[in-house]
Amino acid sequence: MATRATATAPAITVDERRRWARRLGDRLSTWSMTLPAVALLIVFFLVPIYYIARFSLGLDRFAQNEAAAELTGEFADFTTKLWADFLGPGVNIGILGLTAFHFPTWLIGVVFVLLVLGAVFGTKLRRRGGWIAVACFALLLTPFLTIPAGNHLIRVAELSSEGDRLRLFFRSITMATTSSVWAVLIAFPVAYFLAFGLKKSKLTWLLVIIAPFLTSYLLRIFAWKVILGDQGLINTALVEVGVRDPDHPLSFLIYSQFTVILVLLYAWVPFIVLPIFIALENMDRRLLEAGTDLGASRLATFRKVTLPIAAPGVVAAFLFVFIPSMGEYITPSLVGGTNGFMFGQAIALQFVGGTLNWQTGSVLAVFLLAVVLFLTFTTSKFLRQGGGATA
Amino acid sequence: MRRGDTTDVTMSRNGRRLLVLFFGAFLVFLYLPTVMLTVFSFNDSTVVAFPFSSFTTRWYEAAFENVEIRKAFWASIRVAGGTAIVATALAVLVSYALARRRLRLKGVISALVLFPLVVPTVVLGIALLILFRPNGPVIPIPLGLWAVLIGHVVFALPFCILLLLPRIASIDRRIEEAAFDLGASWFATFRRILLPLITPALISSLLIAFVISIDEVVIASFLVQDQVTYPVYLYSGLRISGQTQLLMPIATVMIVVSFLLVLAAEFIRRYGERRLGVAK
Repeated sequence: MATRATATAPAITVDERRRWARRLGDRLSTWSMTLPAVALLIVFFLVPIYYIARFSLGLDRFAQNEAAAELTGEFADFTTKLWADFLGPGVNIGILGLTAFHFPTWLIGVVFVLLVLGAVFGTKLRRRGGWIAVACFALLLTPFLTIPAGNHLIRVAELSSEGDRLRLFFRSITMATTSSVWAVLIAFPVAYFLAFGLKKSKLTWLLVIIAPFLTSYLLRIFAWKVILGDQGLINTALVEVGVRDPDHPLSFLIYSQFTVILVLLYAWVPFIVLPIFIALENMDRRLLEAGTDLGASRLATFRKVTLPIAAPGVVAAFLFVFIPSMGEYITPSLVGGTNGFMFGQAIALQFVGGTLNWQTGSVLAVFLLAVVLFLTFTTSKFLRQGGGATA
Repeated sequence: MRRGDTTDVTMSRNGRRLLVLFFGAFLVFLYLPTVMLTVFSFNDSTVVAFPFSSFTTRWYEAAFENVEIRKAFWASIRVAGGTAIVATALAVLVSYALARRRLRLKGVISALVLFPLVVPTVVLGIALLILFRPNGPVIPIPLGLWAVLIGHVVFALPFCILLLLPRIASIDRRIEEAAFDLGASWFATFRRILLPLITPALISSLLIAFVISIDEVVIASFLVQDQVTYPVYLYSGLRISGQTQLLMPIATVMIVVSFLLVLAAEFIRRYGERRLGVAK
């Protein structure tokens, strides 16, 4: 288009004028096509987020007069006290529940940022960077790694805090991580079987696996509530068989961290199969044959060839689940009870629940948003890899 | 084939058996809860418990006669229909501009339109609650179904764009150029060339936006006033136990309907891809 324009005669011809008109028309139509969506998102998305930030700094408040503000405990002017209340108490790192070290929150924040940045830029430095990334993520996650065992979660290491809300945040991260890690562990063999074990109708089976993910989220939680409740199917079945008596149901099945983790896992696991499957499906099969031809065992081939190639897909899958799980609100409020209470609920409660302090709620919301955005942007490489393959 | 099995580099024969078992168990895990829900929605008992007593449809009758449920259901249908149409229309326009036009700030705009995808729905919900609150900033829309509609459009828009953008980008540019050269305006080209080619993607975009909206509870729960949407009704019903039997029939119907809608969207998309493949 541009080259043709320069090739024409310098005098302005009728043809030239017409071309200019069309270009102007193009530009106008381009903007008129873009504007509706952009305007909608500015007014109903960016502006509201700006208002949350204002609330979190005491610049806006819900209360309409002094008396009401006295009641809700809101500030009338710019203040950083709300942030200090939230982040001030600092962080304790406990190991196997025995010793605890105290750190200021900002230090933990800096370490967290450096770890994530290291994980992302580690991949650019070396050829085997994929593994460095995975190692960094693993390092990032070990403090939260837990093993569900009946009523308890055994913590390898634990982040905690004297501050109630910060502690709640760490607990929510722990729960989100646990369910995401288990989801990946369950999804990997399924994806592996789909990619390598099936010769035909792979896509149909994939659709069979993904379809539940696309049906109602709320109703899938409902189904678990029906199954796990004190009067639910598992407990009544146990009574029926005679293993438990009706007065002592297995109470950890509902309203506990275990339930929240199980239901989150169940809700996301179909979706997580997808990026792993795509990573495995797209790999060059000849590499595997080369591995065996050179005398490697199946296990060695899997470890040295398959796993490194699948690693970005696995990381993408993990992030796909982990990021939304952090702010989860519906699942814990339906099956979590007081034990399974999560950060997302704490935010909501400040706005519609009993406590009602919009400024405090805004601090929590801005914090959650910042963490999520940071994770998303730094790991967008992985996300795009998985997401691009999905689309 | 037999020999190919023994030299399979990805799994041994026993490993394969294990994987088949695991895969089967996984499918049971995936489908058992909803199947249970469906089966026990026909159970003639006031509590959802083993053993299954006897078959009844009385819960279905009771649920469909419940005025509140019906009102909530229609509110949801209206909001979801509106969301589907508005989100898809906006998504088509902006996808076309992003895929086909030279656009200043293209990076910023595509980041902006996909941004809602990563914002936790709780945060989006309270953000809109702050905006629409009584005595809030000057937005002449009160809390209620219109506010929910706007929230759902913001939420569903990125999904529609992710569906439509690759489809539009994959259409052979030369078809449109031929139309331009033959004197068609951009609008005529858009309507007569592009729209027919993206119809399948358009339909799946409508369906996806509809399904997203009709299932969305977090944003809606912050923005509804006196008329609740169906998921909000269900959500508050689920928090108060004892009502469960009445909710199960509708749960079953909803699962089946959304399942069918999703399958329809997928088949239409595949059909469209095949058609585009032939067109090339």
